[in-house]
Amino acid sequence: MIRTATPTINNRPLRCADFPTLAQALDYAAQGVTGYNFYDGRGRLRAALPYAELRQRAQATAKRLHGLGLKRGERVALIAETCPEFMEFFYACQYGGFVPVPLPITINLGSRGSYIERLRRLLHSCSATAAMAPAEFLSFLQEAADGLKLRFVGSPADFYALEEPAVELESSGPDEIAYLQYTSGSTRFPRGVVITQQAVMANLAGIVGTGLAVRPGDRCVSWLPFYHDMGLVGFVLGPLASQLSVDYLGTRDFAMRPRQWLALISNNRGTIAFAPPFGYDICARRIHRAELDRYDLSCWRVAGVGAETIHAETLERFADFLAPAGFNRHAFLPCYGLAESSLAVTFAALDQGMVVDQVDRRALEDRMSARAFAATDGRGERVRAFVNCGRPLPGHEVIVRDADYKALPHRQVGIVSVRGPSLMSGYFQDAASTHDALGPDGWLDTGDLGYLTEAGLFITGRCKDLIIVNGRNIWPQDMERLAEEQPEVRLGDVTAFVASHPKGGEIVVMLVQCRLTENERRADLVNRLQRMIYSEFGIKCRIELVPPKTLPRTSSGKLSRSEARRRFIQRVGWNQRSEIIVEAPKAAVSS
Amino acid sequence: MMADYQQILDRLYTHLRPMAPQGTRLGEDTDLISEFGLDSVNVMDLLLEVEEDFDISVPLNLLADIRTPKDLARAIVRLLEAG
Repeated sequence: MIRTATPTINNRPLRCADFPTLAQALDYAAQGVTGYNFYDGRGRLRAALPYAELRQRAQATAKRLHGLGLKRGERVALIAETCPEFMEFFYACQYGGFVPVPLPITINLGSRGSYIERLRRLLHSCSATAAMAPAEFLSFLQEAADGLKLRFVGSPADFYALEEPAVELESSGPDEIAYLQYTSGSTRFPRGVVITQQAVMANLAGIVGTGLAVRPGDRCVSWLPFYHDMGLVGFVLGPLASQLSVDYLGTRDFAMRPRQWLALISNNRGTIAFAPPFGYDICARRIHRAELDRYDLSCWRVAGVGAETIHAETLERFADFLAPAGFNRHAFLPCYGLAESSLAVTFAALDQGMVVDQVDRRALEDRMSARAFAATDGRGERVRAFVNCGRPLPGHEVIVRDADYKALPHRQVGIVSVRGPSLMSGYFQDAASTHDALGPDGWLDTGDLGYLTEAGLFITGRCKDLIIVNGRNIWPQDMERLAEEQPEVRLGDVTAFVASHPKGGEIVVMLVQCRLTENERRADLVNRLQRMIYSEFGIKCRIELVPPKTLPRTSSGKLSRSEARRRFIQRVGWNQRSEIIVEAPKAAVSS
Repeated sequence: MMADYQQILDRLYTHLRPMAPQGTRLGEDTDLISEFGLDSVNVMDLLLEVEEDFDISVPLNLLADIRTPKDLARAIVRLLEAG
């Protein structure tokens, strides 16, 4: 195994993702000397995988997959651990004409059962015919696949033991599927985003060519999981399509020792690294001031921010804290995107840093109007600040629409809709969900709320009910369903939402209508729910049992999460600093 | 290194105690999430302290079968013995 990291400077001219397919992108990258590097939680290089070696290994594995009798277009599920083998199998699918499906690693204390269930739902949803897990995760995958009709489930070593027939490889063509992406959407009702080669290549060309304006001397550093669109498209496919070297840190290693991310950037002179806001927040909170003089972050030219609503204060705190280590706040690059558009939709301008728009809070609340707040308007508490996520990538369009799909004027909040060459073909084998998201006119309804100005796109809230805790997206209906499966709870008796605590931080709240009267049985239910929610979603939750028929409902009889949330905040007295809830127009409320 | 279960358990308690309000029950069989009340940030902190204290690396896949201090102490014993 190679113990020297691949170099930053390549010996071939840089090409910005101008390839028809991922396989062709790797063919070109393999002519150079750059590649992927894997570090452990203590900052030691564990493996280096030059693109040249990746190509060889991927082609050999592609032949083994053919040897299993897999047909063109069949799905190969991959537990997406941050390791060289994931790369090898992902690109093996590209060369072999198969469809890779990265599967998440969501392991918490005591979560074996719920993790296996989740994997099983995913294997079933994509009807995988083969599946690979690194040895340490193989037992989960085997259990999940038990009873499903997979041809082969194994660790990389199990695959290496297979025959390597001398087949002529025909790599996946521009109109064929490049991969399925399962990050977006509920865990209980998974939806696989179908991305073709030409869609992902169009997105990559926009990202590396325009959004990042990649140049010789760039080097990427990432801890983002490979089962996440930002980790996969942004930091696995993007660097390869522009022949950059990447240094990886495992996601859990980052969560435990965030300083390793900064150390890698500093030591290897990284220039491009992205994180959701919570990643910047962990660094500012968990790194000691005294160690800052160990880092020189002046090389970090693009500090991308995406994947959650961006709060300006979080980034300001990070920039202030790391200024002594040479961090340049103009490196911040807010962007907006979603897996349904491969990854990216808009990028802010490079070298500008974060640009904030202040709007009148009351106009926003009353009329969904993002009226610019003038200094003469008086007091600061009437202001709401939103971060400029920039303009669409070339060839892409963004509009904001109302519930009747009518385009809204600038500074009016509505549903953000996107059109362009990076869009998904649909959700895998799910015509109904596809029909809801993708209109016949080619516009994708993102479900996110925002407004446009001359300067760009501003996101005011992602998917109205979505709960985001520490970078994890949780669909309230998944939590509600889990509670409804308890024998004491009936269907439609549960509502879950997130509320801002007056002392800062967000608390996930679940209200359960419950007929139990004995204290012991009530406590038992609450404890069980807390444990199950932690094990499935990795979060702590405030659970309250409320009397029957007390949860608010809409006129159509559905539980109203936003009304339950409003009443809860009022009841517990958190309303002094409560978030405004910008109600979505009718069309966005479907859940 | 001798991997003594009881000593490891005692050291685990010293890491765990500060993570919950005083008086929270803590024994071998306490459920760390539902009874002791660890959240995901506590769990990260705990693992970090365990890794530094025992000079081991706790693989992520082991967490799936750990619910109590007993489970965790046993896992540490195994990691030290495999060491």
